[in-house]
Amino acid sequence: VYRALVVPILVAGSPVHSCLAASLTQQDLQILGSALTFVQPRPASGGDVAIVYDPGSPESRKDADSIKAAIGNGLTGAGITLTPVLVAADALSAAHFALVIVAIGANSPAVLRALQARHVLCVTGEQSAVQAGICTMAIQSSGRVDLLVNSQAAQQTGISFATAFRMMVREL
Amino acid sequence: MINRISGLALATLLLIPALGAAQSLDYGALEQVFHEPVTTSATGMPQRVSEAPVNMEIVTQDDIRRSGATNIPDVLQFVTGVDIRHYGIADAQLGIRGYNQPYNPRLLVLVNGRQVYSDDYDHVSWAAIPVQLAEIRQIEVIKGPNSALYGFNAVSGAINIITYDPMHDKVNTATLLGGTQDYLQGSAVGTGQIGDKAGLRISIGGFRANDFASDNLPARDAVFRESPPQVGSFNIDGRVMIAPGVEAYADTSMSDSRYAEKTFTATFDTNFTRTNSQLVGLSADTAAGLLSFSAYRNGEEVTIDSAGLSALANWVREAVYVVQANDLLKIGTDHIVRIGFEYRNNAMTAPGFVQGTIGYQGFAGSAMWNWQITPNLSLTNAVRVDDLQLRYSGTTAAGTGFTVADYNNAGFAVPSFNSGLVLNLTEKDTLRLMLAQGVQLPSLVDFGLQIPLGAVGPVVVAGNPDIHPSTLDSIELDYDRAISVIDGRARVALFAQRNNDIISQSFSSPLVIGPTGLPVLLAANVGHSDAAGIELEIKGKTEWGLRWNLGYAFVATNDETQLNRNGQVTSAIGYAHSAPRNVVIAGIGYSRDRWELDLEGRWQSSYQDYQSTSSLILLQPVEVQNYLSLNARVGFRITDNFTVEVTAQQFNNSRLLQTAGPPVERRILAGITARF
Repeated sequence: VYRALVVPILVAGSPVHSCLAASLTQQDLQILGSALTFVQPRPASGGDVAIVYDPGSPESRKDADSIKAAIGNGLTGAGITLTPVLVAADALSAAHFALVIVAIGANSPAVLRALQARHVLCVTGEQSAVQAGICTMAIQSSGRVDLLVNSQAAQQTGISFATAFRMMVREL
Repeated sequence: MINRISGLALATLLLIPALGAAQSLDYGALEQVFHEPVTTSATGMPQRVSEAPVNMEIVTQDDIRRSGATNIPDVLQFVTGVDIRHYGIADAQLGIRGYNQPYNPRLLVLVNGRQVYSDDYDHVSWAAIPVQLAEIRQIEVIKGPNSALYGFNAVSGAINIITYDPMHDKVNTATLLGGTQDYLQGSAVGTGQIGDKAGLRISIGGFRANDFASDNLPARDAVFRESPPQVGSFNIDGRVMIAPGVEAYADTSMSDSRYAEKTFTATFDTNFTRTNSQLVGLSADTAAGLLSFSAYRNGEEVTIDSAGLSALANWVREAVYVVQANDLLKIGTDHIVRIGFEYRNNAMTAPGFVQGTIGYQGFAGSAMWNWQITPNLSLTNAVRVDDLQLRYSGTTAAGTGFTVADYNNAGFAVPSFNSGLVLNLTEKDTLRLMLAQGVQLPSLVDFGLQIPLGAVGPVVVAGNPDIHPSTLDSIELDYDRAISVIDGRARVALFAQRNNDIISQSFSSPLVIGPTGLPVLLAANVGHSDAAGIELEIKGKTEWGLRWNLGYAFVATNDETQLNRNGQVTSAIGYAHSAPRNVVIAGIGYSRDRWELDLEGRWQSSYQDYQSTSSLILLQPVEVQNYLSLNARVGFRITDNFTVEVTAQQFNNSRLLQTAGPPVERRILAGITARF
């Protein structure tokens, strides 16, 4: 009864964890590199990080370009380096990659289907995509660092996280 | 993959780590992810410090370096709410929120969860802690009780010193410092790693100095303050990944110290302490949660050169064995549960003071439940029950009426709890409401002291097998606000607490007539004390290298005890006046290119300390006037590997009476540090 009363009030009234459509900043990408320490299986060093965009959306392509530029020569962290490559969403299933970053507007169930059982982490700046279960992890650090993880999406894509990490992120 | 816990044995689980296992806890990587310090010291679960359901201050390695301090108490004296008494160049007593005293028993101190608090007299020998400042990742200062996690003696607070992880962090440094008081200190820390699978860190260090001049002390105290203090310590810390998600670790340390100190009787002596410790542990990230097991032994040999006790053998040998097992489990997306078990075996042999061996065996069970009620609201409840059985072998002092059997039949079970509600009002505003009960265990000396009639005077001085633990009930409300315009935060903390069954050591207790008609000073529970206060803190920094902090602490205390009645002052416990009511902390620093400049200050109002008299029992109250102490440090990085620094401690006053002990002297130190 308590939860039924209190939860809607707090959720509805709170601006803390709102559903934002946001690109990933350079700081978000640095956080992603560090977070790879807690991902299993850890992406193989030397592989590609696919930056997925919607080919029908100039805004999505622009965001993907922006993310690629922010990564520069490589996404580093956890002792590995991944090379950024742009991948159109409809070409994802044929591509080889160790990590997927989804640009604005490119999150879709098709992306998740392309990742199923491939043991690849899907990361985005759009929390709504994670809440909808079509991407595994959303990163936002414009204010307080907020990591949102969808455990079902993680399971579908064959990804797991260290228990300590799971205890410190918001899990759905 | 999520596996269900089946009936598999624990050993089997250890051998089959879950797919999710990457590693148990990597402070450095987690800090890089969340952009703030990470701790397990609040509840046993890993948390961002801003989400912990306790009032915690984290002192980082950067803070330690910039402070220019040469020891841990001097680092912590600039934490709001921490009280410090410098009784010598190597003897400091720390308290939290008042309640400070010589041999303060109310503050539990640990290194990576291993207690360095001594149960013999219930105190911390800060100088004997075998840790070099350069190997500390962070010092976690918890204000308020935290017995539900740590058990006994985390009463007014707990301090957990977290060192760098030998497997993940590379620390290679050497430091040489020298200065006034003929101060000379050296330390070195080296790390060796095999990929990210194994690591070993070795540290060694020590110092010597001339102690502060004691020309203001009674002759007897001055004589027994032997100078110079000398301290040396050594530590080896190793960790190895034996399977994905399964890590084994071991740690061993030694320290050898000699320094003048003020004891719980308010007299001065010279303390010769040798400590050693051995610890082994295993952690495994499994489908059944984060399993951890550790076992350690602390050994200590103490010899005391003291007035009035020369008729007794003056050495004490203590060994404590602790075995801990925990399982930390996330259930679903909103619940985290920890269950824990602890076994503790403690024995102190002192042919003089306790006429034999006093000790105890204890078992404890604990549980913690964290419920993320909504994304913005969490509730944490933790409870622990300690069951303790006293043991004694030796000769009881005649006149107390206690027999050996009385000791061996004594025991008790005592609960403690911590409960915390954390509400993130907005992205910047956090409220914490905390309720807790902490437990202070009487020291082994409080239980087992046996000084026969005539040894120190016409009185029997004895421990008491019937003495109870002291409990502290606490309530606290905190408000934190992140302030982006200053790139910092502000905190307001309001607290109130009641200390029940205050423990008085034997020498300080009211005189009673024993069953055989002899006068007896008996350790006792002597009443209660209430305290309430407020702490205000704000800190910030700029992009161009300026950093600053300001803090204010107020605490008001009221005692209802049987001590120091009828004009007979026998106890250094006088909590109502034993800590300054008002303390202001301020700091400002600036970093640019190769330079670091820092200035820190502490002002505190007057308080009452105690000085010994020609009687071993009676004390003289001493009013310590308000004072301001300023420290400054200038560091210059000569190359990427070498830094030189000059530190001036208490530069605004050549001699400052901070306690009823010797005046604290100005210290000027210069040094060089190599980092590779």
